[in-house]
Amino acid sequence: MSIVVLEHVSKEYRLGDHMVRALDDVTLSFESGVFLAIAGPSGSGKSTLLNVIGCIDMPSSGRVVIAGHDISGQTPDQLASLRARTIGFVFQTFNLFPVLTAEENVEYPLLQMEELDKVDRRERVKEMLELVQLGKFAKHRPSQLSGGQRQRVAIARALVTRPELVLADEPTANLDHKTGEGILALMRDINRRYKTTFIFSTHDKKVIDAADRLVGIEDGTVRILGVRKEGQWAITNVARRAAATTDTEAAAPKR
Amino acid sequence: MLSFLERLIPVHRREQLEHAWFLARQDLMLASRNVFRQRRRTSVSLIAIIGGVAAMLLASGFFEWNYDTMREGAIRARIGHVQITREGFAEGGTADPLRYLMAETSEDRKLIEAFPQVDTLAPRLSFTGLISIGDSTTSFAGEGVDPEREKKASGALTILSGQDLSGIDANEITVGQGLADNLKLQVGQTVVLLANTGSGGINAIEVKVAGIFATITKAYDDFALRIPLKTSQRLLRVTGVHTWLVLLERTGQTDSFLDKLRPLLKTPGLSIVPWYETAAADFYNKTVSLFSKQVLVVKLMIAFIIVLSISNTMMTNVRERYGEIGTLMALGDTRAKVLRRFLAEGAVLGFAGGVIGSIVGVGAARFISWVGIPMPPPPGMANSFVAGIMVTPGLVFEAIFLSVTTAVLAGLYPAWKASRLNIVDALRHAR
Repeated sequence: MSIVVLEHVSKEYRLGDHMVRALDDVTLSFESGVFLAIAGPSGSGKSTLLNVIGCIDMPSSGRVVIAGHDISGQTPDQLASLRARTIGFVFQTFNLFPVLTAEENVEYPLLQMEELDKVDRRERVKEMLELVQLGKFAKHRPSQLSGGQRQRVAIARALVTRPELVLADEPTANLDHKTGEGILALMRDINRRYKTTFIFSTHDKKVIDAADRLVGIEDGTVRILGVRKEGQWAITNVARRAAATTDTEAAAPKR
Repeated sequence: MLSFLERLIPVHRREQLEHAWFLARQDLMLASRNVFRQRRRTSVSLIAIIGGVAAMLLASGFFEWNYDTMREGAIRARIGHVQITREGFAEGGTADPLRYLMAETSEDRKLIEAFPQVDTLAPRLSFTGLISIGDSTTSFAGEGVDPEREKKASGALTILSGQDLSGIDANEITVGQGLADNLKLQVGQTVVLLANTGSGGINAIEVKVAGIFATITKAYDDFALRIPLKTSQRLLRVTGVHTWLVLLERTGQTDSFLDKLRPLLKTPGLSIVPWYETAAADFYNKTVSLFSKQVLVVKLMIAFIIVLSISNTMMTNVRERYGEIGTLMALGDTRAKVLRRFLAEGAVLGFAGGVIGSIVGVGAARFISWVGIPMPPPPGMANSFVAGIMVTPGLVFEAIFLSVTTAVLAGLYPAWKASRLNIVDALRHAR
């Protein structure tokens, strides 16, 4: 089953006096469980694509279906609820709440889930902090943590609701090389163990190398689709306006 | 106890309530942390609120002191807390006082005096007549009183010269300051009192001026004289009294005392009037309603100034946290929740400012009262006085309520703005 389906999605917005076309007729679908990189130079539209998939931005036209929910026509509150239960976010700038400790930050998305009581929440938080190897730092505030540790807390926060999809916007861009690799390895490990779908935007070659699916985007259109099998990338160059999918069969090499 | 509650509230309702309480606690916890994290900005806002709250307390406390002094002065000088008379005395008593006489003592009187909250019961005989010295004659309003009991019932009456009445049968009077000035009376002089008797004739007696008094009500002092009860009964040739004046330990007990007393009295045709319904309290009641309106205007102005001085910092607070707001929303917080978060911050700020402001205000009020505020004689009153500031728990509660409301109000627009942010734009501000 495809967890993300985009059909003829375009996104335009006004920048000063002229309209910018950030996404231009993008048609894509990703299957559940992928570890997918959206790559492209800055301004290519990769952030917009990620925002649309994350339901924090609405397309100007086209159809978006996330985990079976068609998001067109949904109210802001319905989208908020969809995000709360289905999607986890990891940000380039970590975006932890400075007044909350590590465990409180991780607990935060659980607070609106009425079905969880205090004990459930505490268990899940503990489990998540152990998963990102920060059990000892539960009581630390973000300002007392290093960048890598903060991003680990953010990953724990994104995973704690057991979302079907985790979106990461350049998750390693603000980290040094070694820490970034550690974060990638952690995400990759979680992806393998829990079959959580990861979609991240990046322009870093090393990050792309960690992925098993690749969407190359330029000027708002999908240019490259890649599938990696046994360490080898099978790359498809997508013609303009052609339907694109990373599903294994469709993206099979056509050389 | 718990099982009783469990039966009272259905399970799903209880869970909803618990969850709402949980969310509210969460909001307040987060709000307090956020408010006190921004020390510098918070202290700027706090100072504005503290100043406003303290100013508000001082203004309303000053008026409260005046109300209190005026009320207690009137009650303890002559109105008492409760007046018990024959029915109709208040309306017809001035024209025909002798028709409304009642017994000086009775079962009922013993009953009243047995109440623990009753400080004293003072019988009074009211009448009018003429007072003469030499060639001068003028009218007076006289009150026959029991000097012993009046020591408590007329505590707020000041003897300016001479002495108070010495006994219930003494042949002497004390004269109000205005009346004494009018007749140029000196202490020790002898005057003639002339009045209608109970049998329809006219009687006169000679009495000595024992002292000159003043109350806080000039209109009263201009015509009043006080005379021992027995002497007045001799002058009028009657045996009864007009009023039992009941003085309680505290003014606040009046209503509960009335509720208990009314069903117990046996004598038919008695009228039981609390102090605030007497004609003499009219001036007090009108003054309070007039000044309360003025104080309200002052409070509104202060509230407006608080809103003006903190709304800017509240807007800055939102603007600096666009990134955080974007994150909140991306993680699934609804607009309503974001709105609530920021309103809660206003409430926390207002509450903290209200509490600290009240402490400052009460301290300042104590100090100012200790120094004293010299005041000119108010209209209708005889003497200048030194005012103080009286901050009651009610005023403190009101000030805190007002500061919370104003702070929430000042945060309304920024909070609304925060809740309407575009998530993508907001996230761009994240550091």
